[in-house]
Amino acid sequence: MDEPSEIETVDGRAIAGRNHRSGIAVASQEPVLQPADARRWRDRHFYRAFTLPAVSVAVGTTVLPLALLLFWSLVDQRSGEPTLRYYVQSLASPYFARTLLTTIVMAAGVTAVSIVLALPVAYVLARHTLLRSVLVPVISVPRMLPFVVIGYAIVLLLAPYTGVMNKSLIAAGILSEPVFILFGWPGQAIAFGYAGVVIAIAILTGVFMTVDPQLEDAAVTLGAGRLKAVLTVSMPLAAPGTVAAAALIFSTVVTSYAIPVMLNSRTPYMVSVLIYNNLYSLQERHLAYAQAIIVTALAVSVTTAAQFFLSRFGSRR
Amino acid sequence: MTGGGFRAGIPVGRLALMAYVLLMLALLAFPIGLLVVASFQGGMKSTSGLDGWSLSAYAAVPPDYWGALWFTVECAFLATALVFVVAIPAAWGLVRGNLRERRFVSALVLLPDSVPSITLGIALLALFVPLGLSNSFAGIVVALTVTSLSLALRFTEALLEGVPEELEQAAVTMGASRVTAVVTVVLPLLAPGLAIAALFIFVQNLVAFELLLFIAGPRATPISVRLFTDIVDRGVLPQAIAMSAILVYIGIAFHTLVAMTVGARYLAGSTMSRKG
Repeated sequence: MDEPSEIETVDGRAIAGRNHRSGIAVASQEPVLQPADARRWRDRHFYRAFTLPAVSVAVGTTVLPLALLLFWSLVDQRSGEPTLRYYVQSLASPYFARTLLTTIVMAAGVTAVSIVLALPVAYVLARHTLLRSVLVPVISVPRMLPFVVIGYAIVLLLAPYTGVMNKSLIAAGILSEPVFILFGWPGQAIAFGYAGVVIAIAILTGVFMTVDPQLEDAAVTLGAGRLKAVLTVSMPLAAPGTVAAAALIFSTVVTSYAIPVMLNSRTPYMVSVLIYNNLYSLQERHLAYAQAIIVTALAVSVTTAAQFFLSRFGSRR
Repeated sequence: MTGGGFRAGIPVGRLALMAYVLLMLALLAFPIGLLVVASFQGGMKSTSGLDGWSLSAYAAVPPDYWGALWFTVECAFLATALVFVVAIPAAWGLVRGNLRERRFVSALVLLPDSVPSITLGIALLALFVPLGLSNSFAGIVVALTVTSLSLALRFTEALLEGVPEELEQAAVTMGASRVTAVVTVVLPLLAPGLAIAALFIFVQNLVAFELLLFIAGPRATPISVRLFTDIVDRGVLPQAIAMSAILVYIGIAFHTLVAMTVGARYLAGSTMSRKG
């Protein structure tokens, strides 16, 4: 049996002392009071105490506000009574439904195009060390900028009269008058696409770097063309990472707010603009909360579906 | 080159692939290059020709832009320091205590990252307004701290797992308390890794934008929010372009710093999330 003096704290000594006096029969009836168990219990709470600040920060500034948001979205803003009216009102409104649809189409389109455009770039960057170390700033510097800076750059590029693209196309005689693509959906799609391609190249390069090039070389040795080897060997191995990147881009675009407001159009394409207007201009706070929760549910379910797919897909290999 | 070529003969496919890659990267670099060029032309007046290069846009940057930039740096710095004060004990408890709820805690701190910024922003605003934290320095620091908590915890956990527990136990055997052992033995071993993690988190805090948009106000304006409200309310201003270019230089400086300390390959593969 353990010596009581081994246990430093007061409660530990008390438990050990009682065991010592009452002998083995009592100790076997109450296994919880075994000194080793007591020490383990105490140790666990000692370690647990260190996680408390982190847990309370996460609960206090994420779980609590989100719970409040959910609660208020279910409460009438004026009378204070519980109601589902904000959800019904949102989903029944053709305006909201149409905007939600264009948001989803925009996010899905941007995601698909970004992934397709980024795949070859990521593959090459992953396979060529020299090229990667020279060219990686093009990918990493935009990620170290506030997105609004990218917005300024896109405006300088595409603005109808002063933008470089319109001016040079008119100077070259290709266009006779400026095209107004900036403040419509194409301008927003280009800005989202820029962000999407940057994210996709960054993630997919990392993904392709984990795929062993020798597998592909083996396929080539066995007679497959290089393209066929990439498509049938490396691409399937990179599929889980590709799905993760796609989910990240989709959920980012679906709830993106800055670009739609910066490049705003008369008819909003993105649901986040409606939410913002309800929150600030129209003072319909609880309606905005309900709509924010609808969009969050959409974004989170896409991410969850991707994770579910990954776990099924991953377990098979 | 390495990586195996295409089939023998003229490598048409390979050349096309390389051309495509270079074209894509050029397209990605072009808008940012354009921004830098425009910043030296006093705005967007003369974008053709090399005449008219001047620093007038930079000279026109108003003091409140510099104030906003400094405010952002202060918030980002304080939030980075705070997040490690919270994350290091938590990581130590989770790793050394081998706690059953480790996965639960990881999922909990990941929640602010998995919820869209706009929702978290609105939720924090709803919480902060009654507390008087919206439109304040403290509110922005809290928001940055909570969004970088998962990254800090993940970094610190991974670093701690690389430090053998025996080192701590040796110190405890020789009479140090467990906390003393951690502070004097483990922390110095973690320091280089923590410095790199802090650099990443600082940059992330510096560029945070969509979340802060809701919490920021006239009395607490990060530079990204200031540039945003200016382009929405007043259009593209030369001084805003100059400030954007300055942010580009800061981004390039950070890239160089990280590339020199940890190597460029981490930058390519890192999953550092960037939202909006």
